[in-house]
Amino acid sequence: MSIIAYSSILFIALLGAPIFAVMAALAMTAFYFSGIELSAVAVEIYRLASAPTILTIPLFTFAGYVLAESKAPVRLLRLSNAFLGWMPGGTAIICIFICAFFTAFTGASGVTIIALGGLLYPILLKEGYSERFSLGLITTCGSLGLLFPPSLPIILYGIIAKVDIDQLFLAGILPGVILMSVLGGYSIFKARKLPKKEHRFSLTEMKAACWEARYELPLPIFVLGGIYGGFVTATEASALSAFYVLVVNVFCTRDLSLTKDIPKVIVDSLTLVGAILLILCCALGLTNYLVDEEVPMKILEAMRTFITNKYLFLFVLNMFLLVVGCLMDIFSAIIVVVPLIIPIAEQFGVNPLHLAIIFLTNLEIGYITPPVGINLFISSFRFNKSVLELYKVSIPFLILMLFALAIITYIPWLTLLWFTP
Amino acid sequence: MTKIILAFDDVLEKFSKWGLVSSLFIILILAVSSIVLRWMGSSPMWLEPLTRHLVFLSAFFGGSLATSKNVHIRVDLLSKLIEMTKSRALIWIHHNLLALFCFVTCAFLMKASYDFFIVEREFGAPAFLDIHSSWLVGIIPFGIGLIALRFFNLLILGLLNGVPSEHNRV
Repeated sequence: MSIIAYSSILFIALLGAPIFAVMAALAMTAFYFSGIELSAVAVEIYRLASAPTILTIPLFTFAGYVLAESKAPVRLLRLSNAFLGWMPGGTAIICIFICAFFTAFTGASGVTIIALGGLLYPILLKEGYSERFSLGLITTCGSLGLLFPPSLPIILYGIIAKVDIDQLFLAGILPGVILMSVLGGYSIFKARKLPKKEHRFSLTEMKAACWEARYELPLPIFVLGGIYGGFVTATEASALSAFYVLVVNVFCTRDLSLTKDIPKVIVDSLTLVGAILLILCCALGLTNYLVDEEVPMKILEAMRTFITNKYLFLFVLNMFLLVVGCLMDIFSAIIVVVPLIIPIAEQFGVNPLHLAIIFLTNLEIGYITPPVGINLFISSFRFNKSVLELYKVSIPFLILMLFALAIITYIPWLTLLWFTP
Repeated sequence: MTKIILAFDDVLEKFSKWGLVSSLFIILILAVSSIVLRWMGSSPMWLEPLTRHLVFLSAFFGGSLATSKNVHIRVDLLSKLIEMTKSRALIWIHHNLLALFCFVTCAFLMKASYDFFIVEREFGAPAFLDIHSSWLVGIIPFGIGLIALRFFNLLILGLLNGVPSEHNRV
């Protein structure tokens, strides 16, 4: 009977039922067959209201959406152009920098491609980059800043895995730089055959661009300096960032109207947050049930028969997470998979911070992995290209990202250098 | 009947939007006030839990809007294949099956959380600002109920009007 119930729910999930409803149905079914009152699911849901860092999710997302809706992308584009435009491959590197900045704030929710794609794509084409390269680069960059603070997946991972978010923010910086460098290197390589550029390094333009972006420039300093300077917690940094971005864009630059634009931005950003938090609510019951039933330990026992060391485990973990990243959304994957793999990884001696970065890098790659990497669909919609074409253009970038993943996985020092005594 | 359902859904949509917008403004004001007060050496104990519960409440308002905008997170490979067949019958069955599943799940979850609310009303205690814990727990049946109603409307509209437009599908 229980097998029929679980199979039916999984079938409905494959048909495209919202993940939160699937999680809720699975949790209630599991509790019912275990003879536990269904109200226990509600008790688990309520635990979300006591998560101390929950506030960071809506506030950082709101700040990111306000930035994306304002003219900040144009100002930051000019700034990056002034600083990097003269370099070989400069335009592509600008694209990498700006996308990373925006994804860190918007949480790789597709907003980066939607907000910046229209701006960056024609510039890349004008510089002489091929359509294939330009599409592939923007599609890949749509999730590039995911390892940088204050990205939403890092916060969510911290909440679920009970890992310190401040430490996670630090741990992701160097691996994030590695991913950017690999893409940057490829961009420089591709730029070698382009016509010679007219961009010249200009101090005057640099100063003017800095002045124009004077309100956006302090934001990363606010977040990182505030948290690591010990002035504010991550939660407080999210409140200050959201408040700062709101005041600046409404009253200083006047890019957005408080009564017309801001309510729309709130609705757009918090609809996404609501969808994520609902999954989180409903999955709390299910994942706790699985942990109580010692499912991770049973998986571990089964794995021990053919996985004998940490390095083989990391390889198998990467393969597994790449498949998860292809099939599941990053937020659902964090909520469902993380509680199951943490005890197993612990047994193989993987540092929790290293595990977090490996996990998030895999899911970042999942965004561009066919057949259902979400960035492929967003780009297909944004640039009016077929998904099949996007599959083709993403392959070189996918290989590069896998190369960076191998570096991040097998050199734990990159993640843990901040924490070694 | 369709008009009534559409009008009712419109009320729920506006209610969710305003709930969300006002929640975020209050959350922002409370969170910033809490920091400023801490810097001034005073930090009321009720500020942080109140803010957290407002985020909790806004999750359900956001969920309600995600339902009407059809932006819930899902594995949509098969959905896309069904859309590609362009078979109206298949799309209609798919929409109603998902709407029914979501509505029934939310209805069961609402009942489960209402039971939790009843228990809390009997055995709970004032939490902060003298708000009884049952009111805080009551956010769950209220929020899930709101989402259940949105799915119910989608189901009825699907059954009455045939294949819904792309925005109105589950």
